[in-house]
Amino acid sequence: MARRPSPTDYRSDLWNDWCPGCGNFGIVAAMYQALAEMNADPRMTVVVSGIGCSGKTPHFVKVSGVHTLHGRAIPFATGIKLANPKLNVIVNGGDGDLLGIGAGHFVALGRRNVDLVVIMHDNQVYGLTKGQASPTLPREMQTKALPKPNMQDPVNPVALAISSGYTFVARGYSSKVKHLKDLIKAAIEHRGAAFIDVLQPCVTYNDIFTYDYYDKRVYQLEEAGWNPDVKDESDAVGKASEAYSKAFEWGDRIPIGVFYRNTHVPSFEDRIAARLPNYLKVPPAEETVDRGGIPVMDGAAFRKAFSEYIVDVAKG
Amino acid sequence: MTIRAVDFILGGPQGGGLETSSQVLTWAFARAGYGVISDREYFSNIRGRHSYIHAETSAFELPRALRYPIHLLAAMDAETVFTHFGDLAQGSYLVYNVGEEKSNFAAIPSMEVELRERLRSMFPGIGVDGTLGSLVKYMGSRGVTPVGLDYASILSNAQREAGIVASQVSRYVSAILIGAVAALTGLGEDYVSYGLARRFQRKELYNHNLYIARSVMSQVKSKFGSPLALEKSSIGHGELLVASGNDAVAMAKIVGGLRYQSYYPITPAADESFTLEEYESIHGDGFDSEVVVLQTEDELAAVNSAIGAALSGARSATATSGPGFDLMVEGLGWAGMNEVPVVVTYYQRGGPSTGQPTRGEQSDLLSSVFASHGEYPRIVIASGDHEEAFYDAVDALNYAERYQMPVIHLVDKFLANTIASMPVPDPSKTKIDRGKLTGNVTGNYKRFDMSSPISPRAFLGQAVMWYTGDEHDEVGHITEDSEARIRIYEKRMRKLEIADSEIPEERRATYYGPEDADFLLLGWGFVKGAALSAMSELSAQGLRGAYLHVRVFSPYPSKLVAGILSRFKPDRIIAVEHNYEAQAARLARMNTGVEVERSILKFSGRPIYTDELVRAVKSVLSGSRREVLSYGA
Ligand SMILES: Cc1ncc(C[n+]2csc(CCOP(=O)(O)OP(=O)(O)O)c2C)c(N)n1
Ligand code: SF4
Repeated sequence: MARRPSPTDYRSDLWNDWCPGCGNFGIVAAMYQALAEMNADPRMTVVVSGIGCSGKTPHFVKVSGVHTLHGRAIPFATGIKLANPKLNVIVNGGDGDLLGIGAGHFVALGRRNVDLVVIMHDNQVYGLTKGQASPTLPREMQTKALPKPNMQDPVNPVALAISSGYTFVARGYSSKVKHLKDLIKAAIEHRGAAFIDVLQPCVTYNDIFTYDYYDKRVYQLEEAGWNPDVKDESDAVGKASEAYSKAFEWGDRIPIGVFYRNTHVPSFEDRIAARLPNYLKVPPAEETVDRGGIPVMDGAAFRKAFSEYIVDVAKG
Repeated sequence: MTIRAVDFILGGPQGGGLETSSQVLTWAFARAGYGVISDREYFSNIRGRHSYIHAETSAFELPRALRYPIHLLAAMDAETVFTHFGDLAQGSYLVYNVGEEKSNFAAIPSMEVELRERLRSMFPGIGVDGTLGSLVKYMGSRGVTPVGLDYASILSNAQREAGIVASQVSRYVSAILIGAVAALTGLGEDYVSYGLARRFQRKELYNHNLYIARSVMSQVKSKFGSPLALEKSSIGHGELLVASGNDAVAMAKIVGGLRYQSYYPITPAADESFTLEEYESIHGDGFDSEVVVLQTEDELAAVNSAIGAALSGARSATATSGPGFDLMVEGLGWAGMNEVPVVVTYYQRGGPSTGQPTRGEQSDLLSSVFASHGEYPRIVIASGDHEEAFYDAVDALNYAERYQMPVIHLVDKFLANTIASMPVPDPSKTKIDRGKLTGNVTGNYKRFDMSSPISPRAFLGQAVMWYTGDEHDEVGHITEDSEARIRIYEKRMRKLEIADSEIPEERRATYYGPEDADFLLLGWGFVKGAALSAMSELSAQGLRGAYLHVRVFSPYPSKLVAGILSRFKPDRIIAVEHNYEAQAARLARMNTGVEVERSILKFSGRPIYTDELVRAVKSVLSGSRREVLSYGA
């Protein structure tokens, strides 16, 4: 591309079937802008989603898209990225998807610190199955579709991400598109597992956490002087616990912005590269496995590699 | 006098060094040119429960099945003798610890209650008072030669003479068994030393073990000679690969260009991934083989990350067993829908549920062929022995890419945990088929281009493309249009017809035996070894049978199997399987219309032995419709 791309270059020409006014629109708008500003190569960029309203995101973005199974976007993304670490992989999932059915994978990604970006569409409900309570809906709340108030306590996504080991943890608000765009850019630039919890009003099923609700309460951490960065390794636990406390600030004032960033933890790709010398230069997806249909490992190489299994029969 | 093949059992507590004895002996026999096969049976337990290794070593063939009764039992402990005394043939040898003669079976806590009850009701009738000593005496009167050794004094001698630390000495019982078996089978000391050297890189351990094995060898030889001495080998291989099924598959995957393997620990699959991890980075003359091996958080992540890796272009696989496969089923459907080449190596064990985690079975065939909701094409391959497992594992990777669909490679626990000798595989006899690839695409790319059932594939990174588990159009976007649905559905399903027309039927099913055989065994998987051995035994007795081995269940070799089945009268076709329902026979009926009415089945978790299969075939030929085999502790 000679000219700088514009956000519309990243919009697919499919008709977007989200409900008019859905918070998801702000999230894709921020993604278009972030990708445009970063001049992202559409072939080298992959959006991976789970199932739900949020799951349709890849179809609306003109980069490669993989719309997977309910809760499984992170494992798919992990395989995609580890087989070719040159790809820029962005996961989009709902709060039900990532923290209900997919919670184990959510935690595992933090432990590995794979260089992925996870954008969570946090609307406190299961949208596509018509409004049931999601894992982020507080107890006793009764959103529109619920026949009775919610009986389960909510999980705190930001706190969970910090304690799971994500090295970049942020919250955005889908109506503050420019701010969210900056978060997405910073998350992509971060080398390691990055998580953005995005407050995403569901105009159809969530009549509690509405635009109006958030507009009155949301404030930006960076404007409040919050420094999310871990200075050095000895600072990691201290910073994490400060950020963890901050994650529980909710009520009259709801913080958005980067809570925690640690650039001192090796990414999973670096950990693999420490064992596989070629890994980052020639990733698994690009390695030659045959020469004209014959395996690159020939008989001599086989004998050498697996000599432990081979017994030379004694003569005589 | 020398003999052609020896069947023996090494028994003892799990974790007590049995595997060491077995490994050393296996290498030693192979070094001497003999064929070996050894099956390990163990409880789902880490230390203490009874475990045993049943092995055969042969001077005239690479053995492929085991048989009873055995020629030699070498026991680490009294429980082993109580468990296996009934397996000993006339003229056989029993190696045991005289220090344990006073042990009473009733006081062995690790023994299964059922076995204790059986012994309780049996011993009074044969005059055994319940102690090991009286059982050994009884065995002596039944034509078994007891080889009593004083394990404690052998070890304390060795402790003094070879300088073993007192607290470590109990770890050397394995060397006593090695010495005793070597002496009785006439295995030369050089070979024992070779086996020990392979097993123990640490000089000190090697020396200690050799010292003990040697002293036992001379003690046993001077008293008993080498009554089970094997004749000189006539097999004629200059070298042998000695490996478990798990290891054979791992080696094959590396040859086959595997670049990504994910797994969640489960018996008996996990060893394969361990071996892969050990060989994750191999660099040779002009080639590099680097495999990312990822232990995931569960099987859902295992299969789905393998699918992701395949989308990026890596040859990709995962390995699991029943409970794990169940979790992978949803992902398998996604791979089918999205035409993703991914291999699942499926190590069958006893089910349902966690069933018998460390025992063998073949009860997941139907579950593999029909797994996951909806309809989608898949390839299902089942391996019968180590050599097949090797070449099938390479083919699995090839078929996955050629036909752009998931491949399930079925192995069973018997094969996975059995160590066998096989000719060293030659990678240049295998091929790599990556299927239809386009490479970098300029302009618009249709991942599911409808102009042919198998669309040219680009990897993520080479073009912009979309995938979804919902029904999709050529580009990969969701569609619910009714006509588009029919077109893409048919495109997907037609790929299996193409595979059916391209993969030779002879590759998918093999007929062993004379064209004009009088009866036919129909089997698959690890049944192959016992079936072939039983066939040759039966034909020596004048019963001329054949064996039809089915190796690919999807696409099913219908014409070939139907043709063979139609040559036999219905009452002369016998299904032989490790399950209750005769699952492969059901698939045969589904695909050929021929009902297989007779069956020989085993679902005790133990392998089918040649001798029991021979007996069962005779009963079926004389009218029995269904034989359920039960031999084996
Ligand atoms: C295994 C499985 N269980 C259930 C479903 C049904 N399902 C479809 S969407 C969805 C909820 C999605 O909610 P959320 O992740 O919060 O995303 P949203 O729709 O709110 O964006 C569920 C449960 C499914 N597709 N797969
Ligand atoms: S149901 Fe809610 S989340 Fe789903 S599209 Fe409509 S507004 Fe958006």
